[in-house]
Amino acid sequence: MKFQIVTPERVVLSDEIDQITLTTEDGEITVLPRHIPLVTNLKPGELHYKKSGEDFGVAISGGFGVVKDDGSVVVLADTAEHAHEIDLVRAEEARARAAKLMSEPRKQEDVNFAALQMQLEKALIRLKVGNKYRKLK
Amino acid sequence: MALNTKAIKRRIKSISSTKKITKAMEMISAVKMRRAVATVLSTRSYAKLAWEIVNDIAKKTHINSHPLLTHRQVKKVGMILITSNRGLAGGFTSRLMQTAQQYIKTAHIESNPGIEIILTGKHGRKSIHKLDQTVVAEFDKIDLTTRIEEVFPMTQLAIQEYTKGNYDRIVVAYTDFVSAISQVPKIKQILPLEKGLDDFLGTDDEDTVNVAEVETEEGVGQQQEDASEAGYYTFEPGARVVLDSILPRLVEMQIYQAILESDASEHSARMLTMRNASDAANDMIKELNYTFNKARQAAITQEISEIVGGAAALE
Repeated sequence: MKFQIVTPERVVLSDEIDQITLTTEDGEITVLPRHIPLVTNLKPGELHYKKSGEDFGVAISGGFGVVKDDGSVVVLADTAEHAHEIDLVRAEEARARAAKLMSEPRKQEDVNFAALQMQLEKALIRLKVGNKYRKLK
Repeated sequence: MALNTKAIKRRIKSISSTKKITKAMEMISAVKMRRAVATVLSTRSYAKLAWEIVNDIAKKTHINSHPLLTHRQVKKVGMILITSNRGLAGGFTSRLMQTAQQYIKTAHIESNPGIEIILTGKHGRKSIHKLDQTVVAEFDKIDLTTRIEEVFPMTQLAIQEYTKGNYDRIVVAYTDFVSAISQVPKIKQILPLEKGLDDFLGTDDEDTVNVAEVETEEGVGQQQEDASEAGYYTFEPGARVVLDSILPRLVEMQIYQAILESDASEHSARMLTMRNASDAANDMIKELNYTFNKARQAAITQEISEIVGGAAALE
């Protein structure tokens, strides 16, 4: 089935695949060919898909997933990165930076705090996905 | 004669310095254009896909499952007018104004709705009086918009006013970036999300069936509906939750994209205008150089003949 991941910056992926697993707000769902039309919110997390027996991972920081009536799947993500694109060193640095900023005494408004939390979450997901697929190889 | 050449020389000098300025402006615009075009092209596929999905959802979902999907009789239209901060971009602003004026005229004939304008861009302020409509809000425009957060205040306002019922239709007047040499001013309807509405130019035909249907169902839109009632699509976790988060986001994306298109158009238009100005300056300098040389030669010839004449008289 046709599968596309698009972010505001670029088209991350556009390919024919066999199955895909999305992290929704209610938990993980796996979409196989001929799935019924579906619209869902995606949580920041991991998305993985299978193509001719091989497993691929993508780190996503929120977005929407749509299964269209022609069976094609579209993921509109805020940001998306393939496991092999993730720079583990940089991801670790980002995580450490976000964690440090969060532990600092509060002189800031809630907005900042929420943004930091998002950053931290994103860094953690990237690390998780990056590490997982590194080991597989 | 000597006076004449001096005047021509001064003129050449003044034109060359104008040329220097237009050349510099052209180069600045070229850089800005390249950046704006890069942003607009990278978000285009996302925006297009988002728009397709929104329209698909609007088409196949029960009309009242979300306020942004409900149609009301059009009494008031909000127009987001995206102009530039500066002039010197050829007919960039005036062409957009013309298109907006056209839209306002036809809209009046159609159903006589009032139109209010949400304006962005300093240059639009100067010519807004031509439209003769109320400006309800004015937003500062950034020369090169690169992040969606930068247009949040405007998108928030548009969506809020629509949900509150202050406007029954929201359109965006922007300039579509076709290529570096061609930009087309366009009016695009953003809200409500119409059934079976794709990208279109100019005004749309009011669907009478829709209006009748909406009138009877007015106000029902606030009702909570679950997935089974929402029609064709399945929503996870629930229709209301998903639509609440997805629709505003995708509508915002459309406004953001319209601003990006306008940015790219503005800078390309300015670059082209400045290039034309530089070319014209070049032509003028060339022409004046000819005249200058002729005048100088004439002066020399005259002096020689005077000397020769004087010498002949002495003999």
